[in-house]
Amino acid sequence: MNRLSDILWAAIGMLFVLFLLSPLALVVLFAFTNRPQSAFPIESLSLRWWQAMLANPNFLPAFKNSLLISGTVGIVSAIVGTMAALSLAQLDPWRARLAAALLCLPLMLPPLVLGVSLLSFYSRAKVPMGPQTVVMSHLLFALPFVVLVVYARLRNFDFRVVESARDLGASPLRAFFTVTLPIISPTVIGAALIATALSLDDFVITFFTIGKGMTLPTFVFAMIRTTVTPAANAVGTLILVMTIGTTLMALWLTRYRG
Amino acid sequence: MRDRGATYLLLAPAGLIFGTLFVLPLIYFLVISFWRVRLFKLKPDFTFVNYLQVFELHLPTLVFTLSLAFLVAVLTTALGFTYAYLIRFKAGRWGPTLLFIAMITLFGGYLMKIYAWMTILGITGVLNTALRALGIIDEPLPWLFYNVGAVVVTLINFLLPLSILPIYASMRGIPDIEMEAARDLGAGAWRRFSDVVVPRSQPGIMAGFALCFLLAAGDYLTPQLVGGKVNMIGVQIAPQFGGLGNWPMGAAMSFVTLGSSLAVITLALYLFSLWRPR
Repeated sequence: MNRLSDILWAAIGMLFVLFLLSPLALVVLFAFTNRPQSAFPIESLSLRWWQAMLANPNFLPAFKNSLLISGTVGIVSAIVGTMAALSLAQLDPWRARLAAALLCLPLMLPPLVLGVSLLSFYSRAKVPMGPQTVVMSHLLFALPFVVLVVYARLRNFDFRVVESARDLGASPLRAFFTVTLPIISPTVIGAALIATALSLDDFVITFFTIGKGMTLPTFVFAMIRTTVTPAANAVGTLILVMTIGTTLMALWLTRYRG
Repeated sequence: MRDRGATYLLLAPAGLIFGTLFVLPLIYFLVISFWRVRLFKLKPDFTFVNYLQVFELHLPTLVFTLSLAFLVAVLTTALGFTYAYLIRFKAGRWGPTLLFIAMITLFGGYLMKIYAWMTILGITGVLNTALRALGIIDEPLPWLFYNVGAVVVTLINFLLPLSILPIYASMRGIPDIEMEAARDLGAGAWRRFSDVVVPRSQPGIMAGFALCFLLAAGDYLTPQLVGGKVNMIGVQIAPQFGGLGNWPMGAAMSFVTLGSSLAVITLALYLFSLWRPR
């Protein structure tokens, strides 16, 4: 490779990184401004917008809802998704691929369509809307990720260790909890964290299925649809720290195997 | 067989969630698209009037939305391909870092990315203040914001990771030896690109394109927050479930959008599948 094309590719790479990261970096930066606008110049750093966030009476309920919903989504999708992945690992590859593709269909639907169809369904089925309906709705897009990540891990899994446990007299359940689960648990936890991050970040489906309450993203939305204030940056930074933090832990645990 | 039964039993909870929370709601949604609304109450019926109205009232919006989604999907796929190519063939030891950046921007910040573009492109936004500070412009440029360009840039920004990752997943499967063999057989840079890299990346390119098209066509927040008067079909669908309270109409609009999106995607993917090594 010649020198010129190396420099060109390095420049292209830097432009991409700038394009991908600078919007997020700006959200974080303006959360610490002391001015009333999310704009340059920043005269000095301050925590006044974080105090404004904490002082907002809607913040704490939204924060609690977000933790409750995303935590439940993470746990439930980890259990249900791991069961499904174990099942796929035992099916022949053709059926497994078909089942995985079907489970991924909700990801192909625009969240708006998924949200409004769930809204009309819950209302018809007289399911009271609140955190519980949001959890149910989030499972639809969180579950496929858990299934795919855990299934990918199980395809590199040496099932002979399970067979030895079974030969030595362990029941299928005992073999799972004493042999399979300890080996794949980092992947399962990583997948659960991805599910949690997706749930924390979701706005559209939450907006249509939560009824009266709020989560952090719908709380931010209520702030930014009227005016651009750095208090929205503070809440946004909190969401980003939580989603990117859980994603980083997930990537570290699964070591990119997903 | 006992094992067979256990296998399907393990799949049952996921199947139950998929069936009751995805298939059933979509069927019900399809059914109500043929119903009517009287005095804010749903009335069972079998009428095509909602579908006719979608075409009568929203055809220009629909055509505009599909064109914009096509433009965004093509640009995002081209950029995602470039980035994946950079990771796989050009970045060397920086490859994992670039991949890592694509992954962390995938799982977080949908709403915050749109909000960030509001603060970048607005009248008192980052771009206008920077250009003024540098003395390039005297007055803020109002046309940076509330237009189609702002919508396109914002959509590309949050869809890009969704196109990078499937394309990179396909490209990772191209063995170095295949590229070397092509070179030894006398293939120039362009032949190696068009006869090895592109055909081998096709599954990822197609998956990324379809995903970006559908998500762009169904987005309603981006036009609402950075688009000003830019009218996309999603902006018309959302209020049918809020203030307007006309669910059958919203359902019909959703299905028309989905159907026409799938038609455009199928056509585009068919045309692209004609790209084969000579």
